[in-house]
Amino acid sequence: MNGGLLLAALGTSLLAAVVIFLLPERAFRARTGVNLGAAVIKLSLVAWMVWGLRLGHEYAVAFPVLEGLPFVLRADALGIMFAGLSSLLWLFTTVYAIGYLEDSPNRKRFFGFFSLCVASTLGISLAGNLFTFLIFYELLTLSTYPLVVHRGTAKALAAGKVYLRFTLTAGLVLMIGMVALYALAGDIRFGQREILAGLGPEHQPLLVGLFWLLVAGFGVKAALVPLHGWLPRAMVAPAPVSALLHAVAVVKAGAFGIVRLVYDIYGIELSAELGVLHGLVAVAAVTIVFGSLRALAQQELKPRLAYSTVSQVAYIVLGVGLFGPLGTIAALSHLLHQGLMKVTLFFCAGNYAEELGIHRIDELDGAGRRMPLTSLAFTVGALGMIGVPPVVGFLSKWYLGIGAIQAGMPWVIAVLVTSSLLNAAYFLPILGRLWFRPGPDHGVGAWPGERRLGRFETHAWLLVPTMATALFSLMAGMLAGMPFSPLEWATQVTNAEYLR
Amino acid sequence: MSEGLLSLALPAALLWPLLLMLRVPLLAALADRRRPALQIDGLWCSAPLPALGMALVLDEGALALDWWLLGGHWVLEGARGQLLIVTALLWLLAGAYARGYMAGEQARAVAGDRAATSRLTRFALLWPLTLSGNLLLLVAEDIASFYLGFAVMTFAAYGLVVNSATRDAHTGGRAYLVMAVLGEGLILAGLLWGAGSAETTTLGGLREGMLEATGGAWIGLLLWLGFGVKAGVIGLHIWLPLAHPVAPTPASAVLSGAMIKAGLVGWLATLPLGEAGAGEAFVWLGRAMLVAGLAAAIGAALYGVCQRHPKTVLAYSSVSQMGIITALVAMGLVAPALWPELSVALVLFAAHHGLTKGGLFLGVGIGEHPPRLPAWLLWLLLALPALSLTGALASGLVSKWAVKSVLYEGGYSAVVTWLSLAAVGTTALMARTLWCQWQSERQARTEGLEPLLSPMPLAWLGTLLAALTLPWWLDEALIIRGWPPLTDRLGLLWPLGLGLTASMVAWLVSRHRPLRLAPRLPPGDLWWLLVRAAQWLHARGQVSLARLATAQGRWVAWWVAREHKAMRMLDGMIHVESWLRRHAAVLMMGVAAGLALLMLMSN
Repeated sequence: MNGGLLLAALGTSLLAAVVIFLLPERAFRARTGVNLGAAVIKLSLVAWMVWGLRLGHEYAVAFPVLEGLPFVLRADALGIMFAGLSSLLWLFTTVYAIGYLEDSPNRKRFFGFFSLCVASTLGISLAGNLFTFLIFYELLTLSTYPLVVHRGTAKALAAGKVYLRFTLTAGLVLMIGMVALYALAGDIRFGQREILAGLGPEHQPLLVGLFWLLVAGFGVKAALVPLHGWLPRAMVAPAPVSALLHAVAVVKAGAFGIVRLVYDIYGIELSAELGVLHGLVAVAAVTIVFGSLRALAQQELKPRLAYSTVSQVAYIVLGVGLFGPLGTIAALSHLLHQGLMKVTLFFCAGNYAEELGIHRIDELDGAGRRMPLTSLAFTVGALGMIGVPPVVGFLSKWYLGIGAIQAGMPWVIAVLVTSSLLNAAYFLPILGRLWFRPGPDHGVGAWPGERRLGRFETHAWLLVPTMATALFSLMAGMLAGMPFSPLEWATQVTNAEYLR
Repeated sequence: MSEGLLSLALPAALLWPLLLMLRVPLLAALADRRRPALQIDGLWCSAPLPALGMALVLDEGALALDWWLLGGHWVLEGARGQLLIVTALLWLLAGAYARGYMAGEQARAVAGDRAATSRLTRFALLWPLTLSGNLLLLVAEDIASFYLGFAVMTFAAYGLVVNSATRDAHTGGRAYLVMAVLGEGLILAGLLWGAGSAETTTLGGLREGMLEATGGAWIGLLLWLGFGVKAGVIGLHIWLPLAHPVAPTPASAVLSGAMIKAGLVGWLATLPLGEAGAGEAFVWLGRAMLVAGLAAAIGAALYGVCQRHPKTVLAYSSVSQMGIITALVAMGLVAPALWPELSVALVLFAAHHGLTKGGLFLGVGIGEHPPRLPAWLLWLLLALPALSLTGALASGLVSKWAVKSVLYEGGYSAVVTWLSLAAVGTTALMARTLWCQWQSERQARTEGLEPLLSPMPLAWLGTLLAALTLPWWLDEALIIRGWPPLTDRLGLLWPLGLGLTASMVAWLVSRHRPLRLAPRLPPGDLWWLLVRAAQWLHARGQVSLARLATAQGRWVAWWVAREHKAMRMLDGMIHVESWLRRHAAVLMMGVAAGLALLMLMSN
């Protein structure tokens, strides 16, 4: 019973992938039904597990693969939080993708790998040891490659090549690290921090070296500078894929890996003792500022959002590096907050591209009048990125700030404020163009490529997920004190697991 | 009983403007293309009424909202409660004024002008949003709500500033936004640092924690500067003369009357004023604030008299008056013993300034569309708030007397002298304003008069009345020193006399030898210097970035060349395979023979 629920949740998407690959290309309704059905079932199963965990049940299953190296799936508080985020955003992204890819070729291929991607993300969140984690991590790489190159153009294929180079190398580095850790200390399940902590001080240089090796491996997916080069290139993918890559699955998997590494393998006390936390904070600070500076220089909407992701995901790593419960709460809650806000922004970018043919920022003039709801959602997401309350991004900044003081690093506040100012510098002009400049609807110029996709400003399948995620970003901030808000969840996880 | 009422009234007071805001797009969507909706109607004007009613009727109280942000804690009390009454009243009167002011815009919208419709819709939508932010920051006791109110007010007001969409409006808007964002950054830094050190989420906890925190005075400096952007502290004031004049007149009135006070409210809420054991560092901060305040009070007056447009002169007058307020707040750090009485006088002064400045701005619009009043009466009414601001009569006299006597009793007569000099400057500014209005009114008289009973003149008269009689209807407890005795009245009026004399002399001189200073002293003073500097920096930055890009390109090209070489070498190695295949037989026989030889030899 315990393990069955885990396997069922995982199996839903795997089964969906198989069914989609078996269905013929023209079976649109059946495929839509399978997609939505699988997403809803998965969300329900994850919700059931969340409820079960609150009541004190345990969910775990393990199979030995090699002698002393088992495949372990376990739902702990942190993992189920990540699983909850990805399932919820998955549902929205599925609806969006169905609407976005209407009349596109090769939808069978797309949705098949889409479902495999879901399954991998869920596996990453439920993995119980590094071996299992890596299996699903690599599976994620392989299942997202066809999504990145979906369009098949030369640019898409080049981007896919760069993506594979980065992520496969990272996988190799991770495997070396994993093997070395295994050789050093045997199989370490997530949560067994005493194993590495119990090694003597003569192993410390090796532990530090392995730490940075593993961070480098995770850092590629988490887009830490200087390993971030694949992310802006991957913008050639269709908008739902970008939303997936940036908000739901790939970068989050990298950040989640670092979180697991510091909190569940090494443990926060050992990490502080080894002195690696200062390095993490430094890398994160550099990434935050660099990402924002590069975003300023972009003239197209999606690359600007891509660099913004580079900068924002580093907040999670920053929170991990700040010793103390407040930093942990910041890191864990920002995993959820950034996902909500970023997915909103990418959905809006996709809406503008689909409905009006807009790819560059200077083509956005007056779009607020033509597509008010999408622009409102974009405004909410952008204000959250800048850190204006009540959108939820403010709460992450708050906890990072006070966590920095608690950890004794007040200079981090300067980094946060600089990041806010830079975010304002590259998001506020977009908002100004949307709402305060005359556009084609005022008789000035013309839209690059207008298609009337729906009765309202655009197709309902594109509009509803956008509004829903924007609303969630707003609610998560305003109602942050309620029991099931991301902030409360992160606080509970921190209190339960990481405060002794 | 009143606790229960407060828990209903406070959220209602904040929600009502938001609901009216949401009504705007609904009306726009439901309206016919040919008959756009009448957005600015009586219901829209009622936005501040619940807040005003609540503040006037209810006693002090608090409301806790655990589920809101980081734990909401809203209060109705003390200085902020009084400022809430004045703020809500000014918004109400300015909103009624807007009904008349935007009538022309409404008419154009109904006639089919799409641009007018969008301007009107934006105005109607952003006005209540700005109001709600302003109201929230006056009741918020938890830091997150305070910051929320401040941020909403600041960003929504941008839309009011650029409403007319002219080039000047966009310049003003840009200056406003750049400085506002910088201010928000400084405030955020101060709040995070202070809240982290004090481990609190409330403003009271922040004030107490700042006293004990390491670097507490630096936190205070950040917060002073951050809120100082909004309050127009010298050096950070450069957006004020650019943004306040270009907004529509009712928006200018609330910008200068109510929203600028948000800076003051920020200082009162976050700085440890009146704390006796604050430490040397805080005293130094206070001294810096004092100097900055007095410099602003006098400098802004000198620069402002050279301006041409009455609204710009009034904007500089706001900078000057806020300089006086800055100096008074500084006394809370320099001389904490005086603070209990001085803070009361300060609140009276701020409230008086808010309504009077609002009345002056509304008067500028009245000057451009004069009502059916005899000219002498019109000019008397226009001059009354100006005289009150200089401290010659009514609320101005009472508030000035309160401030001066508290400072005299505390032994700070030097500060009093400086403040009197600032009053000379204020007189000159008021004279200049009235003169500029005279110039533009002469032109307006030829274009036609407004009926007296329409919203604009009525709202203006209401503001004048409220401003002049402020201390008596607001709170008798604010009049801590009463009317000045006759002997002291001369001491209060000499700045007025000196200022009027100086203005007369300047006017006579300029009639004979016109100075033509105005073009050389543009509004915004330092802003234009900063723009030049930013452009220079940008050009330098572009050059460096271009160099970096070429360097990066060379680096990447080098690696790509290395990779190509390696691939060619690998390709070369593949040829070995075909060679091996061709000579397989011979090689195998050779290897076999070699092995046989080895085995024979090892035997």
